[in-house]
This record gives sequence, structure tokens and C-alpha cells, in this order.
Amino acid sequence: MSLLSIKNLKARVEEKDILKGFNLTVNPGEVHAIMGPNGSGKSTLASVLAGNESFEVTDGEVEFDGKNLLDMAPEERAREGLFLAFQYPVEIPGVSNVNFMKTALAEVRKHRGLEPMEAKDFLAFMREKQQLVELSGNLAGRSVNEGFSGGEKKRNEIFQMAMLEPKLAILDETDSGLDIDALRIVANGVNKLKSKDNAFIVITHYQRLLDYIVPDFVHVLYNGKIVRSGTKELALELEEKGYDWIKDEVAAEA
Amino acid sequence: MSEAMTTSILSDLISGAKAADSECVLAQEAEAFLTENGIPSKKHEDWKYTNIKRLFDNGLELISANDVSFNSVDGVETRLMASMPEGRQPGFTGIHSKEAHAALNTALFEKVLVVRVKKGTQVSDELILNQAIEYAGNHFAATRLLIELEDNASLKCQLHFTGSHASEKSLHNHVTEIFVGQNSQFEFNIVQEITEGNLVNTTEVFCQRDANFTTNTFQLSGKLLRNNLNIRLQGENAETHLNGFYMLKGSELFDNHTLVDHLVPHCESNEVYRGILGGKSTCVFNGKVFVHPEAQKTNGYQQNNNILLTDNATMNSKPELEIYADDVRCSHGSTTGQLDEDAVFYLRARGLDEFGATALLLTAFAGEVLNSVSNEELRNILERKIQAKLKEMRV
Repeated sequence: MSLLSIKNLKARVEEKDILKGFNLTVNPGEVHAIMGPNGSGKSTLASVLAGNESFEVTDGEVEFDGKNLLDMAPEERAREGLFLAFQYPVEIPGVSNVNFMKTALAEVRKHRGLEPMEAKDFLAFMREKQQLVELSGNLAGRSVNEGFSGGEKKRNEIFQMAMLEPKLAILDETDSGLDIDALRIVANGVNKLKSKDNAFIVITHYQRLLDYIVPDFVHVLYNGKIVRSGTKELALELEEKGYDWIKDEVAAEA
Repeated sequence: MSEAMTTSILSDLISGAKAADSECVLAQEAEAFLTENGIPSKKHEDWKYTNIKRLFDNGLELISANDVSFNSVDGVETRLMASMPEGRQPGFTGIHSKEAHAALNTALFEKVLVVRVKKGTQVSDELILNQAIEYAGNHFAATRLLIELEDNASLKCQLHFTGSHASEKSLHNHVTEIFVGQNSQFEFNIVQEITEGNLVNTTEVFCQRDANFTTNTFQLSGKLLRNNLNIRLQGENAETHLNGFYMLKGSELFDNHTLVDHLVPHCESNEVYRGILGGKSTCVFNGKVFVHPEAQKTNGYQQNNNILLTDNATMNSKPELEIYADDVRCSHGSTTGQLDEDAVFYLRARGLDEFGATALLLTAFAGEVLNSVSNEELRNILERKIQAKLKEMRV
């Protein structure tokens, strides 16, 4: 059974249609990369899957692990094991990373029928996951994302993902703006968390990330639909030739 | 005499009140101020949004207040009495000749609680005062507190106003006068939680050289709560931190008027007032920082931040900086807005439900004020009360 099945998904924001019949199937153990030019609908897809209410779903079905995803509140999706690494992580003054993760993990565990972790175990678990993305201990005591550099914010997203152990993680341009060291750290974190039971959707502008996180499939999103699917060679081709040839081909087909 | 009694402003304002004792200079002064000025109506700039005069127009009846309760603390002299044998006397700040409600209090209070910390005494335990406010009808009562820290002394004190049965027609009037001696430190935490009652509370503080005065005010419930807090920095290198947190629901009206008076050079004031408004509540913040011409090298900071949870809540925020010295650093900021929806979504995307996310954000918002309370136990109690009220507001 597939982990995620998206059929004919249509969504809009402020009366503007963005997704215009999007289809995708993701199985456990797979990494899918979604690429595409600006404005093609990549971030909308991520927001819709996470349950952002600013976006209106007008048609289509999304099944996640056998359940109707679109019926769930954002927190239910998270508890069911869907994780969005935000393109722009939000700063939350006054809430420490520790307190935030303790609360979030307790909610996710409760949903899975587990008690909250003992304080000592929790801190050890947190330290282990911090090391995974090379986040220093004192960042964890600070307010969520407040005063973090761009790279620290993105690493913090991957850290949270490691803490919550999702079935499906969507990385929304997690690589944008990262220097090569930060990119390696982020990719390394993802690769260590990859297993046969979970899956990743990596949304990106740049092929560079895919040198580090090797996708099983690459899809090109253009004008709200997937117009090409292939393997990692497709990403290399895009890097070399840009998106214009795809736009031209799509125009010619139409 | 009987004629004088019937024509006194005091008996006009409050039934059962008698004219000021002709032997008592203080009461005479207070009465004279009231005769001239009366109780301010909404036409008065300082009372534009807060109509207390309405309670007088409806009729108030004088009663004796409950005695304030207090614990016994080593190093602190506490006495509740009608008159004062020695030391600084009620009225030493002169507030009764400046402001009508303080004048009314001065003319009508029956007992004053005097708290004294002798020179050089560092008090380790916290002094906890509780003023119960339980009035059945249109009752009016006045209570008075005088706190004096002599030089090189330190004290922490909590003042709780509590009541679960105060009538919405009643009015409690409280005045605290505080003297912080040279190089003394005083932390004063005020908690107001009086359900349906009305309270006007005046705090007048004199800070001497090298003194440090911190005050944190928490307004948790009340029909109408008005605080007038005036801090006079009279000696060089005095420092004050004044913080407040308020949360309002229903038709509650809370009002904080603060004044920091920088009279001499090299003093510092730091002010943070924050609040959460729900229902159809109305809130007022008026923070004045006055830097006199002599007060060079003043550092004065002020911040007021408000979160509105409903469309029908109203915040009136007015920072006022008056600076007459040319070598100072002063700043102020005032913000009023809604809860950050992006932050709520971010937390929900990590598994917190909507109320949990909102409560976490709002508790964090209160944190900046809460964290200036040094007593961890009090901080935890306040945090629980804040969370309980958030549940009531069901944001």
C-alpha cells in the first residue's frame, strides 16, 4: 500500500488557482524530488499537505497511510506522521526549543498511545538528535528560531523532524540559501533518518541538494501539474538546460 | 459642627462619611483638595476611558475595610494601627494633595499597615500581604499601606487583592506609599484578582540614591481595576523596573497609569507592560516618563505590547515621554495586534492543537513580565492562573 496518494489535487489561494490537477504516489522507502520554476506551485503543495488553512482545496483526494488527509486538522496530520520542514521557519519568542519539542513530542506520543518520555530520557534523546544536525546545546535552550541564522533555522527544522520521527517528511526548499557546509549537514541528517519505512518529498529549486540526497524519482512541477517525471538524470538535465525547454515542450503538447 | 458635617464634600461623595477631623492636618488637606477638585469625570484626560465617577453618582456607602492579613517575617516591623507614633507618616509623599482618589483615601482610611525595615537589614523571607475585598452592595472602603526601607536594607513583598464576592457597585480604594532608602532594594509584586469588584489603587514611591525598586503588577480579574503608579527617582543612580501584565475577558476594564519622574542625573527606568484582551474588554495603558532638566545621563525605556483576541476588545495605549534634559537615552514602543497566525500554524504543524498552540504563545508573551518576578513559587502560581483564565476565555 502506498504511503501517500494524491489524485487530481486542485487548490487555490485568494481566488487564484495554483494546483491544477496534481497526481503523485509515494511508497515507503522512497525519496521524491519535486522541482520546478518559481510560481509553479511547489510551496502551495507543501502548505496544502500540511493543512495550512490559507489555501483552499477545490478538488481531488489525498490519502495518507490509508486515511483521508484533507479531513484532518494540521495537528492531526502531524500526529499521524506527516512533517513539513518549513521554507520560512517561524520565530517564536519566549518559547524555548526544549519546551516546544517536549510539548510536541508528548502530543505525538500520546497519539501513538505512548506516555511522555521521562525528563532524563527526553534530554538524552534531544542531545542525540541535535548532534545529528550539529546544533549546539545552547541553541536548544534559546527561543524557537529567534535570532537563528538562516542555516540554523533550516538545521532546526531537520532536528525537529528527527525528534518527531515522521512517516513522511516534506522538505520545502530546505536547501535554499544554505552554504555548502550547512547543506551537507542538512542532507546528512536526512540520509541518516531515511529508512525502508519512511519517505521524503524534497522540494527544491536546485539540483545541488540532490547530489547529497539522492532521489528515487524526480518530478517537474509546472503550472500546477507534474509535467515530467524521471530519475535523478532528469534533475541534471534541468540543471544544465534550465526550465525553458520544459515550458516549450508543454506549450507544444497543448 | 453639624452644619459643617452636612456640607462636607466627603459626605456628599459617600454616605456615612464624616467631615475631616479638624485636629488632623492631613485629613484637612485631603478634604481641601477634594473640595476644590471633586472626583474626576471622563472629561478629565487621565480618566477619559475609565469612568469611576459613575460609581459615586450611583451612590456609595462607607464601611470599614477588612483588615489586611500579613505573615510575620524576621527583620520586618509590621503594625496595623489607626495613628502613627513615630517615623514617616502617611501622607509623607504629598499624593493626597495631587490626586482625588488618593485624597479621598487619605481623608477616610481607618487603619494603616506600616511596614518598616531598619537600616542595614537584609530580609530573606518574603512579606505576603492579602487585602480581602468582599462587599455585598454599594460599599466603599479605604485601606492604606506605608512601606519604609531605611538605608542599605532589602525586602521582597507581595500584595494580593483578592475577593470572590465583591459587588459590581462597590469600590475599594487603596493607597501605598513607599520609601526606598539609600542603597536599598525593594521588590514589590502586586496581584489583583477581585472578580466583579472595582478597585482604584495608588502607589507612590520615593527612591533615594543608589536604590533599586522593582514592581510587577498582575491584573487577573475585576470589573474595573485602575492603578496609578508614580515613581520618583530622587537620588542619583537610583534604578527602577516597573512591569505589568493584564488579561481581560467579558466587559472587564483595566487601566494602568504610570509615571516615572527622573528628578536627578544617572538614574535608570525600565518599563514593560503587556496584556491580552478578549471579549468586549477595554484596557488603558498610559505611561509617562518625565525627565527633568537636571536629570542628565538618564536611561529610560518603556514598552507596551498588547494582543487582541477578539474584534470587540479595545486597547488604548498612550506612551508619553517628556524630556527636558539634553544628554539622555530614552525610548518607547507600543504595539497592539493579533496573535501571530503563522506561529499558531507552525506549532500545529508540530502536533499541538489550536488551543495548546495559542496558550503556549500567550504564556510565552506573558513570560517577559512573569520572569521579572524573582520568587519561583509565585511565578508558577501566576502562570497557572494565567493558563486557567485562558481556558475560561477559550481562545
